[in-house]
Amino acid sequence: MAGPLTNYRFWAYAGFAILLLALPLVGDEFWLNRVAKYLCYGMLGAAVALTWGYAGVLNLGQGLFFGIGAYAMAMALKLKSYTSLQQGSDQPVPDFMLWNAQPGAPTELCCITPGSWMWLPFQWQWTGVIVAVVLPAILAGIMGRIIFGQRISGVFVSIITLALVLLVRLVVTDAQPLTNGFNGLTDLGWLTVFGHEFDPYAKGTYYLVAVALILVLGLSRLLVATRAGTILQATRDSDTRALYLGYDVPAYQTFFFAVSAAIAGLAGMLYVIVSEFASPSFLELSFSITMVVWAAVGGRGSILGAAVGAILINMIEAHVSETESLVEAWKAIIGLLFVVTVIYLPKGLAGFAHERIARLAGPRAALQLKEEAGQ
Amino acid sequence: MTAALMLDGLAVDFSGFRAVDGVSMAVEQGELRVLLGANGAGKTTLMDLISGKTRATEGKVLVQGRDVTGLREHRIARAGVGRKFQIPSVFSGLTVRQNLEVAQSKRPSVWSNLRFALGMSEKARLGEVLELIGLEAEAEREAGLLSHGQTQWLELGMLMIQDASVILLDEPTAGMTQGETAKTAEIINRLKGRHTLLVVEHDMAFVRDIAERITVLHLGRVLAEGNVAFIENHPEVKAAYLGKQGIA
Ligand SMILES: Nc1ncnc2c1ncn2[C@@H]1O[C@H](COP(=O)(O)OP(=O)(O)OP(=O)(O)O)[C@@H](O)[C@H]1O
Ligand SMILES: [Mg+2]
Repeated sequence: MAGPLTNYRFWAYAGFAILLLALPLVGDEFWLNRVAKYLCYGMLGAAVALTWGYAGVLNLGQGLFFGIGAYAMAMALKLKSYTSLQQGSDQPVPDFMLWNAQPGAPTELCCITPGSWMWLPFQWQWTGVIVAVVLPAILAGIMGRIIFGQRISGVFVSIITLALVLLVRLVVTDAQPLTNGFNGLTDLGWLTVFGHEFDPYAKGTYYLVAVALILVLGLSRLLVATRAGTILQATRDSDTRALYLGYDVPAYQTFFFAVSAAIAGLAGMLYVIVSEFASPSFLELSFSITMVVWAAVGGRGSILGAAVGAILINMIEAHVSETESLVEAWKAIIGLLFVVTVIYLPKGLAGFAHERIARLAGPRAALQLKEEAGQ
Repeated sequence: MTAALMLDGLAVDFSGFRAVDGVSMAVEQGELRVLLGANGAGKTTLMDLISGKTRATEGKVLVQGRDVTGLREHRIARAGVGRKFQIPSVFSGLTVRQNLEVAQSKRPSVWSNLRFALGMSEKARLGEVLELIGLEAEAEREAGLLSHGQTQWLELGMLMIQDASVILLDEPTAGMTQGETAKTAEIINRLKGRHTLLVVEHDMAFVRDIAERITVLHLGRVLAEGNVAFIENHPEVKAAYLGKQGIA
């Protein structure tokens, strides 16, 4: 099965995994905490590549799924926070609910503010974990069925997803007594698994995120290598042709849309564990667009490339923000970077690397591929 | 034996304009039927009606005796109808081999395709089709890089491997050189028997190469039906092609 072309792909993934796992040897906890956030962004890059690169569907509202994952986890961790346990009730009650409660309202999670009962299941931390991944997938499934089922495509999908994330942002900021509005959810507790507490500044938490990213990248890569993955790419190139071959094109688009949403939800969930806050800024349009830039620069046709693009850009941004004079210019720099890649490297860094390697491997690679096929 | 493709009083009304106006015909198993007609006669529209792209306002389409009228496109495709459009369409970002693999998949659902390898018999068939369409040397090339003729052959190969019982071909030689046209005729002749074909074609030399029976459409209706000699000497057909001195 393994020719030189498939081989170098494998080694790119393996090399990346080894690098991630080795990082704790060279950096301190604060730096690792920061890198862990970028790894979450890397996951987002991969999620964007999956829909944009492989399905040809540009989701401009990927932040919605990230946001859902983040809020679900943050709700569970908020209830584990020390402050929530100090409100004089048997059950934990988030501090901001107290500030927002009507005078005379019972200090109980069930009914302190309108809708606060929605928080009840989140007393069990795993509710947050499960909802963070499953709800985005279900929501994307429903959205996909409607959008793709109506044969809506191209820029219209982008507009719909964009509108949706803005709508949800409006609702979240508006529902102050339920979500703490603009302030978001801060002052969170820690995720606890089998008695182990995931301190955001401990190496264990870094490893949690790193292993999650490695798994997401590996599994996504396998997924697009299945026949279903090939068929998905076929629908991207010509949905009519795929339809006339008997494929239910919307089903394929919806499936991968949902997988991508689940990955974004997972990224949001891990991000909260690492950063200890969830904020409506995750639902801002600029954040969703930034993800698209990461994927474009890294290479939307490559899961790994898009993830690396996200991580690299954020590392550079962190460096730049240490230089006062460059902070202001950063938005312009990133915009320029986007334009330059789109024009000169339409397949991003990964596409560039791929072409280089293919040229180096040259005729030998082609020969080996033929032999594989002949087996 | 039931006809492979049976049309019964098929018609479509585009807000008053009947582009196809009560067409009935039966195409036997393994037959190759050529559809002739002047520009705008309704040939492409007829194929749209059969394949589900356009909904018929009247009449019925039966494929292998099964009524597929009004089904959605992918369902009609699964019922055994394959179609090639006037403008060739393949998956340009995939390799030639991958194009054929996608066309080959027997089970269409997402879940049943979450697997990797092709079976032995599938691989063998894929190799066979690659040879038939003469693209073995291009198997690992991106389909978007193929020449116009090669693209058309790849699409024919996809219809072969899809194993559609009824194949609709809309002007398969449009824009081809003479050499390419000859090769296409060869490929189409090899499809006969195993598949039932309905072919729209203007090039009479090509039609003589491949045709058994011809159906002539005129203004959305069947004007005549018969073998090549019969059609070429048919007075009404000649009249319909007025100014062209018969079918040139
Ligand atoms: N969706 C539609 N709405 C209205 N009129 C249509 C529609 N589709 C086709 N027509 C008309 O129906 C007639 C038949 O068109 P059709 O494309 O079937 O002809 P054709 O026989 O394939 O011609 P050609 O040889 O030029 O390809 C034309 O007059 C065309 O303008
Ligand atoms: Mg036509």
